[in-house]
Amino acid sequence: MIGRFFRLVVRQMNVQLQIRIFNQYTILLFFLQPLVFSTVGMILARAAGNQTPDLVYTVIGGGIMGMWSGLVFTSTYDIARDRRDGMLELIVGSPTPLARVEAIRTFANVLAGLVSLAAAFLAAVLIFKYSLAGANIPAALLSLLLILFGMWCIGIFLANFLVWSRLGGTMVEFVELPVAVLCGFMYPLRVLPVWMQAISAVLPISWALQALDESLSGGRDLALLGPQWGLAFGISLVFWALSLWLDGKVHDRVRITGELNSI
Amino acid sequence: MNSAVLRNIRLYFMQAWFSYRALYAWNTPFTYFVSKFGFSFFAMLLFVFMGKYVGLGNPVYIVIGNILLIPSMNSMSGVSLAVADEKRFGALSYLIGSPAGRAPVFLGRALFPVLDGFITAAVALPVALLIFQLDLSKTNLWLLLGCVLLISFTTSGVGFILGSISLVNRDGWMITSSIAVGLYILVGVNFPVAVLPPFLRVISYGLPMTRGILAARMALAGASWAAVSQLVFGEIIVGLIYAAAGYALFRLIERRCLISGALDNL
Repeated sequence: MIGRFFRLVVRQMNVQLQIRIFNQYTILLFFLQPLVFSTVGMILARAAGNQTPDLVYTVIGGGIMGMWSGLVFTSTYDIARDRRDGMLELIVGSPTPLARVEAIRTFANVLAGLVSLAAAFLAAVLIFKYSLAGANIPAALLSLLLILFGMWCIGIFLANFLVWSRLGGTMVEFVELPVAVLCGFMYPLRVLPVWMQAISAVLPISWALQALDESLSGGRDLALLGPQWGLAFGISLVFWALSLWLDGKVHDRVRITGELNSI
Repeated sequence: MNSAVLRNIRLYFMQAWFSYRALYAWNTPFTYFVSKFGFSFFAMLLFVFMGKYVGLGNPVYIVIGNILLIPSMNSMSGVSLAVADEKRFGALSYLIGSPAGRAPVFLGRALFPVLDGFITAAVALPVALLIFQLDLSKTNLWLLLGCVLLISFTTSGVGFILGSISLVNRDGWMITSSIAVGLYILVGVNFPVAVLPPFLRVISYGLPMTRGILAARMALAGASWAAVSQLVFGEIIVGLIYAAAGYALFRLIERRCLISGALDNL
């Protein structure tokens, strides 16, 4: 049973990572787009009279943005592609639950997105001489794990949600940059108006990002980090629970009505 | 002679209308609206907050630049898709096999994306100016509208080139998207071109939009025709060069496919 599950995981991830590698759009999402946003951030900083940009937000934030863009596009367009190619019916009809397929795929996509973060981090260290001296490394790693977990939970929520609709491509426009704006990938949340900060509080990534920023700045105060980690984890679980509920709904609906192809 | 001209004009408008309908045929008004404003609007917000964080007090430069980019994006992506989709939907073979004149067939694909982009910017600009309470008392309105329309036309040349590339490259949309994202740095949308490093400045002035966006900004600030005429003529010349290059590339690919008979296999 466990062996079969791991074989499924390995095969799914293998296929998913091959798709990511051979799809040139990956280069745009993981590397070019973050590079452009980071460059704009650096030039704006220079235009504002700052000699050195804030590397955490401008460069590493760009990498997190690349991870996020990659995840959103894959979570939405994978479903759209399955639908277009007639694969969705086969997946839904197979004995492996759709939720499991989506969970493994999204996990592979989140892991693939780490390439973007690694590239940004290397750029910060090698080009801009960013130093981790003074940073709270264990706390930063835990925050990063929570970012990945939060992205995974949102990713499977989106993937399940979009089985219901053909608007996958349109949803990207509503999710990719709005979440980047609300979570503060490229700037601290205090820059946002108060009402936007309130909205960003329902996104687990925003809490984990605050904890990451705090940790990279050397923050060791558990009274500050603890609640941020707790909220990031808790809200991620809510998204995960919602995706489980959605999965049941989606499966019931398409199997009872047999209308998957006409959605 | 006259009937041939009339036939080509009719063909131009028919092609323009049908390619535009094909481009958006599957969209509901909701998805149409979102595809028009979604990425552009949220990218603008992102840049505004990035600017605020680094200490730029006034976001108007970024807001106006991003709105002026909308017709460019619309025109470039719309034209590129309109050409590339011929192949995607299997219509390219019929198009190339038909005796219709190539110029109206090809150039017709630009008309509605250009008008669409112009109207989008013409609607978005006053709304944004009202939100940010910009003083419009000195604005040279007709010159501003002319510049926005000009930007839409000149960027269609880039769309022609990218669309033609898409005919021979399965990842053509990735190239189009990459260039579209690169415009946020290159054409003076978020900051003046003057702050770019010299090698990027050279690329910037080699692109359509750069002069047009600068001219539109000047018109917004109240500049007269005399002040912006050089920029406008420069924009027209660069745009024509790109359109001619796009047309030449399309004809080259067409000739290649007629010889090999393998366009749909590429």
